[in-house]
Amino acid sequence: MTAVSQETSGTTQALPVCVQQVTIRDFRNIERAEVEVPAAGVVLSGLNGHGKTNVLEALHYGHALRSLRGVRDQELVRFGQEAFHLAFTATGGAVDSLGIGVARTGRRKRLVSDGVEVTRLGDAFAAIPSVVVSPRDVVLVAGTPQDRRRYLDLLLAATSRRYLSALQRYRAALVRRNAVLRDQSRAADAAAQAAVWEPALAETGATLWAERVRWVDWAARVTADRCAEMGEPQRFAMRLQSSMRDLTGTEAELHIALAGALERERQSDLRRGMTQHGPHRDDLLLMLAGKMARSFGSGGQQRTIALALRLVEAATLREHRGHDPILLLDDPFAELDRERSARILALVAQHGRGQRFLAIPRDDEVPSGFGDLTRWRIEGGVIRGA
Amino acid sequence: MSAIDDLAGELAKLPGIGRKTALRLTYHLLKQPPERSRKLAHALEVLRDRVHPCGVCGNLTEDPECAICRDPRRDRTVICTVEEAADIGAIERAGEFRGLYHVLGGRISPLDGVGPEHLTVRELEARVSAGGVSEVIVATNPSVEGEATALYLQQSLVRLGVRVSRIARGLPVGGDLEYADGGTIAQALSARREMI
Repeated sequence: MTAVSQETSGTTQALPVCVQQVTIRDFRNIERAEVEVPAAGVVLSGLNGHGKTNVLEALHYGHALRSLRGVRDQELVRFGQEAFHLAFTATGGAVDSLGIGVARTGRRKRLVSDGVEVTRLGDAFAAIPSVVVSPRDVVLVAGTPQDRRRYLDLLLAATSRRYLSALQRYRAALVRRNAVLRDQSRAADAAAQAAVWEPALAETGATLWAERVRWVDWAARVTADRCAEMGEPQRFAMRLQSSMRDLTGTEAELHIALAGALERERQSDLRRGMTQHGPHRDDLLLMLAGKMARSFGSGGQQRTIALALRLVEAATLREHRGHDPILLLDDPFAELDRERSARILALVAQHGRGQRFLAIPRDDEVPSGFGDLTRWRIEGGVIRGA
Repeated sequence: MSAIDDLAGELAKLPGIGRKTALRLTYHLLKQPPERSRKLAHALEVLRDRVHPCGVCGNLTEDPECAICRDPRRDRTVICTVEEAADIGAIERAGEFRGLYHVLGGRISPLDGVGPEHLTVRELEARVSAGGVSEVIVATNPSVEGEATALYLQQSLVRLGVRVSRIARGLPVGGDLEYADGGTIAQALSARREMI
């Protein structure tokens, strides 16, 4: 996370990530699509339920390697088919080509990047970086702490291998310690059995905390700037809330502090059957004028903050990967008035300079600023005009 | 169910053998002289009749005690603890270790309901308590569960006044730094040693 130390806009010269060819087979309602994508991007129009979001989801699969709507891989396979397959060629990403195959019955997905089979999922994570902007993003503000942790984890894992591997080990140790707390609480050596998972939790938990704190320190200011630019008059603030009152120490200090907290709370954890301390209990507090946006923000304010978080996500990816990620805009102006949409568009143009995919219901509603983009229509899972 | 399906079904239950390979092996046996199949069947039967864990260390053997435990030239003051009997083979092939072994029979895995009481921890404690052991080397795998098992052993054994050590983690010999993953390099750096 060392590169996140400066305001990002306008500092990077590198070309954006650019998808050139996309092949989609038996993914959601799309039977087969092979399309060449213009460098600037595409406006994709189509009525609801015809597959706009499915195209964006397929593109985002090249980043997250899973469904953007939190669906299991097997459920992404088109009805009645055995497997789905996605293939991308791109410039500016971590790879030039990426192929993904998932069988309904298979236990794991098959990934091929630049012609070589990828055996560890982490190696292909964020291979073709993209950011999705959608009205559903409001859950980042109005949703549960888990929604915000997921945002943090996906973003930081995409920018830091160290974070990703710490996260995997942390989760592995946490489910095991919790299993002991739940199932072994009456065993004579229950405390000793719980304790053996704590060194791994303390070590990796400290890494997660240190990286989260470093990102929040930087992102709070940038998010506040984006909110102000979108016309939000109230001052935005963001901070990381955790089970540990003070997260200001170095990673080594956090390591010692978490190890101590886990040991202190061990008996209490055994009574409750769960681990009460650690980054899995964090929340990202989002505030306007000192009040929680989750409870006190209006619908419009929550949308503004959510969009700002997505723009900051794009900025973070740009800082770490050196290229602007692809922007996948899923009907982002639904329910917004014209003036606000125009302001947001200007912001997107200014801060998200990558290739753009804009999905909207009708192509006579293409907002100014996107008028030059090539237009595709999607109907019943078939892409026309490509 | 036919005899062919029967055998193929049984073979397919083995690790690393899929349905197709199982069928190929079955047809292969049918093409060979019948004697070949009888030998295989006999070998399988004898395997389970004769082979059992060593009464001392848990290594697989056909005798009450395994060849390593009986070998008078082995160093009886050091015990190397491993998860499975197969791990002994790997360490023996290296030819470096001259002590005795102890097979745990797995690792602590609360998600599979495997706690310390399902491993041979008490047997190991008994061996140490009996005296004559100065060091226990813990050679469980460097996975999250292997590390937790190592820590559990350390805490149980240290009370008995024995020295407990853990095998090192880091770069493979003959490996290339460029191709090592981040986790391994981080481990190797934190476990670096001074050159003297």
